[in-house]
Amino acid sequence: MTAYFIRRLLLIIPTFIGITIMVFIITRLVPGGPIERMIAQARQQHVISGAGGYGSAGDQQDQPLSEEQIEELKKYYGFDKPILVSYFFWLGKVLTGDLGVSTRYYDPVWSMIRDKIPISLYFGIITLILTYGICIPLGIAKAIKHKTFFDNISSIVIFIGYAIPGWVVGILMLMLFASHWDIFPLGGFVSGDFEDFTILQKTGDIIRHTILPSIAYLVGAFTVLTFLMKNTLMDNLASDYVRTAIAKGLPFKKAVFRHAFRNSLIPIATSFGNNISIFLTGSFLIEKVFNIDGMGLLGYESIVERDYPVVMGILVISSLLFMIGNILSDICVAIVDPRVKFE
Amino acid sequence: MITKCSRTQKLDFLRDRQKKQVNIMQLNPLTIKKIKRFKSIKRGYYSFILFTVMIVLSFFAELLVNNRALMVHYQGVYYFPTYGAIIPGSTFGLDYEYETEYRILAGLFQNQGEGNWLLMPPVPYNAYENDLKEDDYPPFKPSLKERHYLGTDSIGRDIAARLIYGFRIAVFFSIALLFLTYIIGISIGCAMGYFGGMFDLFFQRIIEIWSNVPLLYVIIIIASIMVPNIMILLLIMSFFGWTSITWIMRTVTYKEKAREYVIAARSIGATDFHIIFKHIIPNTVAIIITYAPFSISGGIVLLTSLDYLGFGLPPPTPSWGELLEQGWANMSAWWISSSVITAMTVTLVLVTFIGEAIREAFDPKMHTVYE
Repeated sequence: MTAYFIRRLLLIIPTFIGITIMVFIITRLVPGGPIERMIAQARQQHVISGAGGYGSAGDQQDQPLSEEQIEELKKYYGFDKPILVSYFFWLGKVLTGDLGVSTRYYDPVWSMIRDKIPISLYFGIITLILTYGICIPLGIAKAIKHKTFFDNISSIVIFIGYAIPGWVVGILMLMLFASHWDIFPLGGFVSGDFEDFTILQKTGDIIRHTILPSIAYLVGAFTVLTFLMKNTLMDNLASDYVRTAIAKGLPFKKAVFRHAFRNSLIPIATSFGNNISIFLTGSFLIEKVFNIDGMGLLGYESIVERDYPVVMGILVISSLLFMIGNILSDICVAIVDPRVKFE
Repeated sequence: MITKCSRTQKLDFLRDRQKKQVNIMQLNPLTIKKIKRFKSIKRGYYSFILFTVMIVLSFFAELLVNNRALMVHYQGVYYFPTYGAIIPGSTFGLDYEYETEYRILAGLFQNQGEGNWLLMPPVPYNAYENDLKEDDYPPFKPSLKERHYLGTDSIGRDIAARLIYGFRIAVFFSIALLFLTYIIGISIGCAMGYFGGMFDLFFQRIIEIWSNVPLLYVIIIIASIMVPNIMILLLIMSFFGWTSITWIMRTVTYKEKAREYVIAARSIGATDFHIIFKHIIPNTVAIIITYAPFSISGGIVLLTSLDYLGFGLPPPTPSWGELLEQGWANMSAWWISSSVITAMTVTLVLVTFIGEAIREAFDPKMHTVYE
């Protein structure tokens, strides 16, 4: 089995190269890269500094940077080389842990990403706890009370939650609870005067900012997990070993929790590893709706501003996490269910 | 000689069965049973009827939501301006040559009292016009009097109109996307499962790469460089969205390929082409159909997300995502986001109910329940 996982780990390499090369080529083929922006910036500065701040139309047509300067810039950003060469140049730097420098803020990409990780991680962990903490008990309750009023009503609610994406639920909640009733803040992670708060106020403030986004995150993962729990538990409850246990005099409660429940957790484990990618990268739609300054929003803004080193940096981290998550899921399955053998 | 004879007989027999199979495609007892089962799942069946009605109505959205009158009676002549070329104002005795402003004309006719009349659609606005007021700024609240039943958006366009036209675009976009991705997915997936070997391995790697690429991310990168129209958006999305159905199709084909009827068909000399198109694909249709509703709701959500972020269809195309963005930026104008969220919820829930019912009808999971 170790051999299997080693093989899986090695397969990450070609996939990783495939993903990054594809996005790299796309970012390279598009106009509006850093050099074009720099020319535009230089032109603006030129206009402002020259002629008392009022540049005539003729001034704006001037090329503010000389040919050599442009060449130098191209060299600096690796635009002078063919796409594949500069890709491998980039890849080499990534392998040494250098994700490059943002073309917009001139900060190292890694430190920009690192700054955002705590917030995304915070929401990720809360969502994780909430999802598993609510879905598993709810799934059990629904399985035991199958086809009762409670089961049917909760199924409809869960279905509706399944149909609407989390960020739309987020907008709805903002409209109701933040704008209309003013119970929760409109977004962001902390209030403006956060610095002056006492510790108690600070905690309260963060909690108030956390509730709505967490629900929005929760909506996405909720349905699948609840139904998975319910269906597997029902299958297990109907199986012979539970019947035998009860026939031999075990109370129903014990049969559920000691026997059926433990076996029902196996399918839940199949998606457990994938949590680490949601964990860290978040969803940029939800982060945009709630204006949370996490990795998702950073990725979105860097695309809008064509800050491609940051785009690539986030892609590196999210795709690695995604692939490692897949392997982790398999490992989880192997741990939980000794019958599973990966070859 | 004898073997040859029996072979032709066999072929005859097979041809016969094939003819039956063609008929099976139309009315196979199994299919009838599935349809019956689907009808018996009331929630899904009524959702299906309602959704079909909505789509059919949206076909004729011009008759329901339009700034052109449905019917004009002017000096004894009937006009039907809804479809076709614009009718200049001069036709109705007005002093301009551009398109008649029917809402104003209706008032004029009433004042004149000469027996001329016109009939406006229920929502007398189209999705693109700005209905502005002199003493106020949009967005305007819903008002029955002005027939802005759901109010206007932040530049004065009627929300009901934009919702309905946005629905039409989103649904047909998703259906087109479904067809594109399924054509690609079914052909590649089927070939992977059927031929296996290097071809399978190669595409497995490709799919692994493709499905790891963050879809929304890449579409946004591409959409940020060129303003996409519907066709380009469809192409980009199907270029990145074909993997999941391919994977399903591959697995299904693998299973079907190992079954006796395929071996039997091959042993009497059926070609690969024949086996794939006459045997395997018809037998996988049932499985593919169960995924279709979820692909449609996925398509609607994807398009709405892109429009919300501002990278979808170019403005001023009516779209739910753009309305959501306005509602989000303009929280106090509660009628914008509440109407679009309601519309979205209703549509997506209907599609999900249909999908669940189809899945249950085609692939019933009988739970043995503990008693």
